[in-house]
Parts: sequence; structure tokens; C-alpha cells
Amino acid sequence: MRLAIIVLGFVLGILAGAGLLLLNPLAFMGGLSPLPADIAPAKAYRWDAYRGIGTGVADLVGFGAPDRKVALKAPALAHVRIGIIVLPAGEGTPAALAVKVSTLSGENSLWRARLGTDDTWSILWPGEGSAFAASYSNFWTLVRDTFFATARGGGRDLLAPQYAVSAPPPVDDPTGVTGASGRYAGFTGEIRDFFYPGDPNPDWALAIKMNPPPVSTR
Amino acid sequence: MKRLFIAAFSAGLAVVAVAATFWPLPQHLRYRSLITVPPDGGRQEDFVIRWPEDRIARPGEDPAALPGAAAVGAAVLEDSAGQRASAELFRIRDTEDNVIGVASRVAGAGGAISDRGRSDSNWLLVIPSRGALFLAQSDVLDSTVRERVSADRTVAVPPAQSATFWTDGPRFRVTANLPTPAGSRSTGRVLRGTSEFAGLKGSFTETWNLEEVNADGSTRGRIVLSTFTAGAN
Repeated sequence: MRLAIIVLGFVLGILAGAGLLLLNPLAFMGGLSPLPADIAPAKAYRWDAYRGIGTGVADLVGFGAPDRKVALKAPALAHVRIGIIVLPAGEGTPAALAVKVSTLSGENSLWRARLGTDDTWSILWPGEGSAFAASYSNFWTLVRDTFFATARGGGRDLLAPQYAVSAPPPVDDPTGVTGASGRYAGFTGEIRDFFYPGDPNPDWALAIKMNPPPVSTR
Repeated sequence: MKRLFIAAFSAGLAVVAVAATFWPLPQHLRYRSLITVPPDGGRQEDFVIRWPEDRIARPGEDPAALPGAAAVGAAVLEDSAGQRASAELFRIRDTEDNVIGVASRVAGAGGAISDRGRSDSNWLLVIPSRGALFLAQSDVLDSTVRERVSADRTVAVPPAQSATFWTDGPRFRVTANLPTPAGSRSTGRVLRGTSEFAGLKGSFTETWNLEEVNADGSTRGRIVLSTFTAGAN
């Protein structure tokens, strides 16, 4: 009886502690304001054909074995995810070919509600131009909701349909869009990434807002 | 019993607090940065890619099942007007042959991007322990990957991986020059970087170096990206 009470108290203490940790108020004030949908519509994309780490909690926190079929076999690439993505046409732009690289952020901190990745993009719209982008994605809210959904005995059906994962970078690191060639040379702008938990594969969406360089007059 | 439960519960809370404080969150392996300082200032750093072995294949893609001149992991997007884009993924090495990061080469030809017969290409270099570099250039040729369609499959063929490309010697500079009154200047630009590379701007050149021609007409070689950067004022 004594042992059962000790085990029960200990397990409940761990669950309560994890819950309190995940309810860190910092997580509720870390997002970026959305971009206007009429200027920067979100383009849905899939990122199933990737190499490297997955998007699960184990990958973010660093426990569990990597998936050997997709792992990048170099020690320096142990926490990297890379893939080619096709962004669909629409809203006045053609389909784009893009590469997205995510690396686990070196600034992740369980006390500061930060479990994120540094994301970089290289995007080219055939015949139009190209751009680079850098952003920081924080998956803390997704991890929190997954924990409480599991505690309630549910699955992905208890999660929110969409997570706006783009967040201000933990350190003063420049993010945003940098135009590279064609019509977008010299452009600057902002980027927002969205995560849609799905079963078995999640979906993503990307919104980009780009502005031309300022006109200088003599 | 109640006191025992509270003690065990508190121990559980303490375990979470200790774990959250001391849990070793993943950190990237870092190799020593191999940077040289030219006599006129700035910093030079070379990045090396070996083809075909540094190409990153897509999941389930078997390099052995492809023709020798074909690239694994490459993708091509082309419209009916012949405006083409291609993307290739690589591991990148430092000059001591350590794999230090990943890179992508995204090239486009046609339309507003480039003149006929040429392409513009963008290199995204990501060194997880240091940050990312964004490089853009005009190419002296159309360097986009082409799709070759045969009866049973479509394969992506990059120019440098075919022996027929190498008629003028084993070294080929891809980066075009921009003619200026004071001589020529590289079109290769380091647009910006992140993390440790934040605030750096400069130039770069991309050179393909042939090392071996195989019996099946495929090749092996190295892509060298030489970056020259300085802090932006």
C-alpha cells in the first residue's frame, strides 16, 4: 500500500510538473502577427520527401533513435532536415520550386518555452525570379497541446487544426525575405510558416510578403 | 499516508524541474572554421562538394539504380514556354574534407531570370553550428538540371556529370563576370547570412573541377565555392 502511494504520488508529480512546465506563460506571447491574407496568401505545401530529422517531440528534445531510412549520415548533420518542395501556383504567381532546410535551434530552452528550428528557404519561381528567406519556428505550443491531448487519452483529433509556428528569433538574428534574382532582385519582406497536424503526414503552408526596394531620387 | 503522497508528489515535481534544467538539448557538432584572411582584408572561406557522392538522395531513391550521369535528389520544374527551374541538394565539406553542412543549388533559366542560353543560380549553404549563407550569381551557361525521358523513367541530368560537357579542360568556372570600366567583376554575390554569418556581405565564385571520367560516360569531381566576405558597413 505504501509503495503504491509512493508510485502514484511520484507519477502524478511528474505529470503535474510537466504540465506546469508546458503551460509556461512565455509560450502565449511568442508569436508573430499574421500577414494580410490578401497580400500574402498562405500556400499549402507538403514536406514528406525529406532527409534528416522528423518533426516529432523526440526529434526536438533529442531522445530516441533517428529513422535510418532518412537520416543524414554525418555527425554534423544529426539535427538537420532538408527537402525539395513545390509551392503551388495561384494568386497571380506560378508554381515555385523551393528548398527548405531546418536545423534545431541552438537557443532551445525548456524553461523559456523554446523548442524550435532555424529555417532557411531558397525559392525560385520559373521565369519570374528567386528569393531566400530565414525564419524561426517554435513548436512549443504544438508540444504542449500534444501532451495534454495524450493525457486526455486522445490523439491528433484533439489538436488545433493549424499552428502558426513562426516566432521571433530567440537571439537578435536577422530573419525575413531577401530577393535574389529576376523580378525579385533587391526585394525584402517577411515570411510565415504554418503547421497542420495530420495523420499520417502533416501539412504545411507558407505565406510570403515581399516589397520592392525603395526608390531613391536625386 | 497523506504525508507520504505529498512527499512523493513533490519528488515528481522536483524530477521535472531538474530534468528541465539539466536535460542536454541537442547541439550541433562544430568543426574548426577554416578561414583565411587575404592581404587586402576581409575573409576567405572555401566550401567543397564532391559529385556524385555528396548528392543527397530522396528517401527511397537508389543511386545504383540510376544511369551514371543522372543525379539523385534533383528536381526540375519546367513550363511550356521552356522556363525551367531545378533544385539539387548536397552535403558540403570544408577544405579538410569534413562534412560540415548541407547546401542547395536552385537554378532558373528563361523569362525575367536570365538571358537565353544562361541561367541564374542561388546557393543556400547551411552549416548547422554556424548559420546560413545566401549566395546568388549569373552563370556563364545554362546550368539547370535537365530531365531526360526514356521509356521506363525520367532522370535528372546535371551538365557536369556527363563526360561530353568536358571538352575544354578539367576546370570550369560557372560564375559569370560583370564587365566594369575597371575590369571584370564576379556576378557572384554573398547576399547575406544568419547567426555567425549575419552582417557579412561579399562575393563568391563557383568552380567545377573534373577528377575522373568513368567508362559509362559519367564523371566524378568537385564543386568549389570560394567566398570572400567582410562585415557590411
